Amino acid sequence: MVNLLLVSVGGGLGAVSRFLVGAKIQERYPSPPIPIAMLIVNLLGSFGLGVFFGALFKGIPIFEYENPWFLLIGIGYFGAFTTFSTFSVEAVTLLHDGKYRKALIYISLSIVGSILAFIFGIYWFI
Amino acid sequence: MKINWYLLLAIFIGGAIGTMIRYGINMQTMFTLYPLGTLIENILGSFLLGVLTRYIFHMKLHEAWKAGLGVGFCGSLTTMSTLAADAFMLAGENSMLGASLYVLLSLFGGLLVAFLGFVMTDALTKRKGAKSRG
Repeated sequence: MVNLLLVSVGGGLGAVSRFLVGAKIQERYPSPPIPIAMLIVNLLGSFGLGVFFGALFKGIPIFEYENPWFLLIGIGYFGAFTTFSTFSVEAVTLLHDGKYRKALIYISLSIVGSILAFIFGIYWFI
Repeated sequence: MKINWYLLLAIFIGGAIGTMIRYGINMQTMFTLYPLGTLIENILGSFLLGVLTRYIFHMKLHEAWKAGLGVGFCGSLTTMSTLAADAFMLAGENSMLGASLYVLLSLFGGLLVAFLGFVMTDALTKRKGAKSRG
């Protein structure tokens, strides 16, 4: 019950942060060539999760499903701050509109970028 | 989308529920010792957001519902940061092949079902529209 509360509060805050950061980016760059708002959010959040894992666990936590910080910040906050569904829908929209080159750039930057951002974050501390 | 407290509350609630379900699926799939949970969540959420995106395009839905279901629920059910962590873990534990397979499955699975969500919703809402006109 406490675990559910931790993940839900972290997740709720992560989602609201994603919305606010995304809106801020969109306000500054109203018509970017590729959907950069969620790209930047995903890069930031993956980097953040890497830093969090590196700082607290010195690596990838595997059996930490009872650790309140892992639940609140790892699963909850950063899990919900970043998103995959919006990425999929934006990529499919680009492909659907025939913007293949932009789609390829967006997909590569999102996936490779998020993994690299996470690695940069975690190696900062281990 | 205009920022107001009502919208933020909807996103918070949707995000909290989406994250709880993600946590639940993770717990149920932990025995596989594979990031199967994240894979399921990302594919399921991509499909649901695909449906919602096209539903909103054809039909009216209150702003708070759009934000709560789309940004909140689907956004938080799925995750990119855990996918990055999973890929890093698989690359370290097994092989680059395992990590690449996981990422490619997530990517192509997510894109395919989002597209399916688009097509299905377009077909269904068109039929409904045709009925109401007839």
